[in-house]
Formats: sequence, C-alpha cells, structure tokens
Amino acid sequence: MPPKATLAPGHVPPGDSNDMCPVCRTNRYFNKDLRFLINPDCYHPMCSNCVDRIFTDAPAQCPYAGCHKTLRKKGFRQPFFDDLSIEREWDIRKRVASVFNKTQDDFETLRDYNEYLNQVEDLTFDLVFSPDEKRRAKAERTLKEYEEDHKAEIEMSRLAGKAADEATKKRIAAEQAAARERRREAALQAEEERIRRLQEREEALDELAAAPEGLAGKVMLKRREKKPMPNPDRDIPMRDNTSSAVPSDDANTSSAKPFFAGLKQKPKPAKAEGPYDVFAGGDFVPDRYKLQKQVPKPPYKKDVARDPHYTTGGYDVRDYYVQAMYEAFAGLGVFVDDEKEMSGRLGLDSAEVASMAAGLAAAETTASGFGFGEMGLGQTKNVINYL
Amino acid sequence: MAAEDARYRQSTQYKLWSFSPAQLSATREKTNALAKATISERLLSRPPPAASAPTSGSNTPNPSSQMQGAGDLPEFLTPAEELRLLNHYTAELLRASDFLQYSVAIRATSAIFFRRFYVANSIMTYPPTEMLKTCLFFGNKVNGVYLHAEQFAANFPKTTAEGILAGEFLLCQGLRFAFDVKHPYRALEAAMFELERYGDVDLTRLGTASKTARDILKFSPLMTDAYFHYTPSQIMLAALSLADEELYDRVVRETFHLAHTPAFPNAPPQSRKAAAAAEEKSRLLGPEMRDKVRAAIASCRSMLAQEPPARMTGYWGTPAQTDAVKPSLRKLRKCRDPDRFDLVALHKARREQALRNGDADDEDGRVPAGSSLDGDDDAAVFGNVEERDAKRRKVKKGLEDPFGGPL
Repeated sequence: MPPKATLAPGHVPPGDSNDMCPVCRTNRYFNKDLRFLINPDCYHPMCSNCVDRIFTDAPAQCPYAGCHKTLRKKGFRQPFFDDLSIEREWDIRKRVASVFNKTQDDFETLRDYNEYLNQVEDLTFDLVFSPDEKRRAKAERTLKEYEEDHKAEIEMSRLAGKAADEATKKRIAAEQAAARERRREAALQAEEERIRRLQEREEALDELAAAPEGLAGKVMLKRREKKPMPNPDRDIPMRDNTSSAVPSDDANTSSAKPFFAGLKQKPKPAKAEGPYDVFAGGDFVPDRYKLQKQVPKPPYKKDVARDPHYTTGGYDVRDYYVQAMYEAFAGLGVFVDDEKEMSGRLGLDSAEVASMAAGLAAAETTASGFGFGEMGLGQTKNVINYL
Repeated sequence: MAAEDARYRQSTQYKLWSFSPAQLSATREKTNALAKATISERLLSRPPPAASAPTSGSNTPNPSSQMQGAGDLPEFLTPAEELRLLNHYTAELLRASDFLQYSVAIRATSAIFFRRFYVANSIMTYPPTEMLKTCLFFGNKVNGVYLHAEQFAANFPKTTAEGILAGEFLLCQGLRFAFDVKHPYRALEAAMFELERYGDVDLTRLGTASKTARDILKFSPLMTDAYFHYTPSQIMLAALSLADEELYDRVVRETFHLAHTPAFPNAPPQSRKAAAAAEEKSRLLGPEMRDKVRAAIASCRSMLAQEPPARMTGYWGTPAQTDAVKPSLRKLRKCRDPDRFDLVALHKARREQALRNGDADDEDGRVPAGSSLDGDDDAAVFGNVEERDAKRRKVKKGLEDPFGGPL
C-alpha cells in the first residue's frame, strides 16, 4: 500500500475544497450548481465557472500558485472520485492497462504470466507513488518506449480483447435468452397442467354423477388406474445451452520481442510467395565468363550494328554477343558420356526407341500423314523450342 | 553446376539427342536388328513378284533363287555398313547443300537431322536418298527460310515436290519434334572475341585459326557422331585445338583460372556461406574441372581428327570411295523394306487411312436426323456419352505416347 506521505504532486487533500472553489473562492452557499473540474495534467480542482473564465479563450497557466502547467479547456472533466489521488491513480492504471494488455493466453505458463503482472505492477507503482522524480521519469520512458515498439501487438491484443468482450456479452445475452425461453416454456407447461387437471376433475365429477349409486369408490379406483403417467419427455425440456454459439476468444496474434519472458511463440502468418518466376529458379548470370561492356564487332562484312536494314527491325549486336558468349561456354562442364551412362537412360527411353526404332512392328500407324505438308510448317520457326 | 550448363541441360539436344558412345552403338544395333526382323517378315509374307529383272552380283543371293524358294532372304546390312552408308549420304547431303549455297546453319542442321533420323530408323527401312532431300528442305524451314517445294525439287534430278513432302512428317516424328540443333559456329566467334580481349594475341594468327577451325566445324562434327557425344562448346574448342593448340590452351587456361582454395573449416558462421560460394566457384573454375574438360575435348578432338575437312572431296565420286560403298549399296537394293521404301506411296496410303478414319469419326459423331433435340440437348451438342468416352480413350492412348506410334 502506498505510504500516505509520498503522495504525488497535484494531490489536494479532500476537505472544504468541495464546498469552496480554491480559485475564485465561490462556495456552495452562493452557487448551488457548483461543479468542480480537474485537468489530468495537474489534478488541481476548480469550479466550472473558473474553467470557463480562464480557459475559454486560449490555453492558460493553471491558476494555482506554484503550478506552471499550461492547461486547455478541452482537458477538463469532472472527477469520478472525491479523492483526487485515487482519480489520478485510476487514470494512470487505465493508461498502463491499455498498453500492457496481454492476457494469460499469451504466456506459456502461469508463472510467466504472474511475472509479467508483477513487472507491470512495479511500473505502475513507480508511476503513481514513486517519490523519486527520476524513477517516475524512467517508468514513464519505459511505458512510452514499449508503446512505440509494440504498437501493432498492442493493437492486436486490444482488438482481441474487444472481440473477447463482445463474445462474452453475446454469451451472456444468449444465456439470458435461453433462460427466458425456459421460463416461458415452464409457464406454458404449468398452465397446460392446470387446464388438464380441471378437465380431469370435471370428467370425474361427470362420471361420478352418472355412476349408479354405491359404486363411487370403484369408479374412482378405475380412474386412478387410467391416469396416464407423466411424460418424462415433456417434463424436462432442459436445453443444453452451453454449446450455444459462443466463439472462444482465439488468441491474439503478436510476435513480440522478448520484452517479457515466456511469451508464446505465435505462428507467423504465411509469407506471401514472391512474384512468379518464369525461369523457375533458372540463373542467367554466367559463371565462366564475364560479359564486357564494349561489344566486339561481329565478324560479318556488313556493319550490322549500324546498318538500318538490321537495326530497324530491332537487331541488337549486344544480344548477338550475349548469345555467342553463352554458346561458347554453355555445356563445357557437361560430360555426356558420364552423365548419360550414369542416368542409365538413353536420350530417348529405351522402350520408346524400341517402339519407334525402325518403326517396323506394325503395318498400320496412328500417325496421320498430313498436317505437315507445305502449309503446316509456316510457323515452325516460332514454335521451335528456344532452349 | 554452372548456370550455363544448367541451361544447356534443358535443351532437347541434351535431353533427347545426347548419348554415350556405348548407348549410341547399342541403339544402332537394336535398330538394325529390328529392321532385319521386320523386313524379313514382310518379305516372307508378301507373294514373290511375278517377274523381276535379275541383277548380276556374285556375292548377293540370286534373286531368281529367291523367287523360287520363298524362304530365301537377302543378306542384310550390318550396323557397320549402315554407318558407312550413313556417312556416305551425309557427305552427299553436304555436297548438295554446298551446291545450293545454303548457309552454314542450314547445312549443319540438315546434316544433323539426317543423322539423328537414322539413329532409330534403319537405312534399310526408309530411303536415305529421299530423306536427304527432305532433311535439306526441312533444315531450310527450321532456319526460317521457306522454299517452294516445287522449286526446291527442281534442283535435283528425278525429284518431285511430292516426294520431298512425303517424308517431311516422318522426319519430324523421327526427330521427336526437336527442331533446335545447337551448333558451335557462333561459339567459335565468341571464342575469338575472348582471345581478342586478352590483348596479346596476334590478330592475323587469330584470323587463320578461326578460319581453319570453322572449316573443321563445317565438316568433321557433321560427319562423325560428335554432336551426339559432346556439347557445342566442347566441339568448338576441339576444333580450335586442331586449328591452333596454343590458342585453345589459352582459352581453357583463362576460363578455368582459379586455383583450388580449401575452405576453412573453422571459419566463423557468417563467412561460411561466402566460403561455400567461393568453394563452389573454385570447383567450377578450378584445375580439377579444367582437367576434366580437357579430357573431354581431347577425346572429341580425336573424333574430329578422323574426318578432317581434307577428306570432304574424298567422299565425292573418288574411285576409292565408290568401291567402299558399292557393295553396301548393292546389298541395300536387295534388302530394303518393301512397304516403306517408297515414301510417296507410303505417305499416300497413310493419308488415305487417316482420311478414312476421319470420315468414320465424323459419321459416328453425327446425331441421327430423327432424334429429338429438345429431350437431350447435351447429347445433341456433345454427342452421346459412349462416343465421348471412346474419344477420350483415344486421346488418352495418344497421350501415353505423345510422339505417336511406330513409324
């Protein structure tokens, strides 16, 4: 518990301040509607008239002697508690709680969670009660830093908390609705029961009236036997409401730096795949040669680099150079003998070769003989596998 | 693996048309055996021709005796003979290309098409003289030169456009529709750029070496199986080494210039990644790789040296060459596939068959005139379910062998 002597600045001992505005000395006797307002910057109370008078035009200094805070009218509000030190603590706690808004689900163990709570409480205590200016400043700094660094996380947590609150509200509403329904059904049932009894009674009376004399006892016995047993299905219309749609508060997602120990590792959201790679990871950076900036002159009679017959169509000597260099060094390290022997596979599958080899096995063929006449190959060049 | 090699490994030249020597000869033997088996079956099953002009030839079986005893079969070509004929016809193709003054790329592409086609098809099955022209024609197309079939055919005696086009689709199938052939010519130009860049190489020497190497590239790799066993850059360097050993040595030394640097096992973790990259780099450009590349190029060089450009004229009409191939040619005349050797007829027959099949498909697919359209709209639009299933089965069958059935 906070020692009384170390009250934070701005503490005004409760007492006659409720009855007299310390600024304008108006008291309740003169003004029945005396309302005291405070500004959370310094928690000095003053009456609403004073606030209007001093702060309506522009921000001004706090009228209390020795308080140099500049206050705005917007910041004034009515305190909730009489004791303004509690008001202040309440404000600070609200602020801390909105920043350190982790729940137990975020932690691996209960112990970790308790550690966390302890840490937060220490910080809050420093903020609220510490007599040491430095410690307070330090706590303030820690809070600010944490807020800066963990903005997204805090927001997530807040949203999750909100969702959880809403879920709870919904659950409670659902429970209430279910209870109402149960009550209504029970009332209905009771009413039915009552009517049934009445009818039975009347029937019994009728029967008794119609029965010959002296046989009333027998009639009554008979009726009792006929009386249906109470229907168990009807009597217990209990509904299982626990399974009503109450979404469990799924844990908020956040990936924290280890500010607190024992935070659960949240699964990171799947990384979006990069853009589609046309070459499927293929690499076009040559390993064996370096392309020169200066493109050498191709060994042709025509000056293809400058001749408009070539350049107009988009011919670029550099492309030629790149291609030529590639061809000169591609496959130098491909040893067909070893590789093809090792793979144990012919260029064509041996079975395929057998089926096509000499192609003599069958008299008829499935290959249609046309399609590649004069017309078919106009576009061959375009179709050719460029690789 | 170097980025360039990774890219080369994606090519059809590597994927479909690269073999080790053992694989290639095994495939050729298999092709030969299959051809023998099927041709003999065909010869036996077909009735002997009523009259055939007996040809002279002491070594070959007498055709008249073959006629009398239907069980007699001609002597078939051996794989070695087939290979000799293949080289002979490749030389013919190069001669034709030179005569028609086609560009180097067209010439080489056609020749490689021709050689590739006869890896999995026997010379006994499809006529090489016809395929040769088709290859030239198609080589033009692939290189973006679109000739009129008629005009092209006019270059050759006893050739029609029909005959050239007849084998075209067949060729495409035989090539597995891999039309891109990677040649070493442009690579040679780039090698010259590099040598020039070093700055201390005599330019006239470069010019001579370039010309010699180009001449080699224009003949030797096309006449051998170099394209099947080596990559274009290796072939280029092999040719360069034949032309000028020193220049070749220079290129290799400059390319694989890194000394081997062992990685430090105790390196701090930050630099370990960089160290691994450096290690990989030194592996790619280090002495071990250099020696391996040198070995590959040396074996390629010895292959190219078997067919130096000086031999080019030797293939054409010299008595020695004629004597060498004459027996094989004579044999070939006897043992060719009776059903397949006439490409035009074969093409026509296949076309007709396809047309027939197509007609049949059309009739099946048509909705009967009397059927009520309002009752079953889907059937009206898509044909009924059974037909669709049948089509799907057909398509599925096709998918299993995307290149179609046997040729």
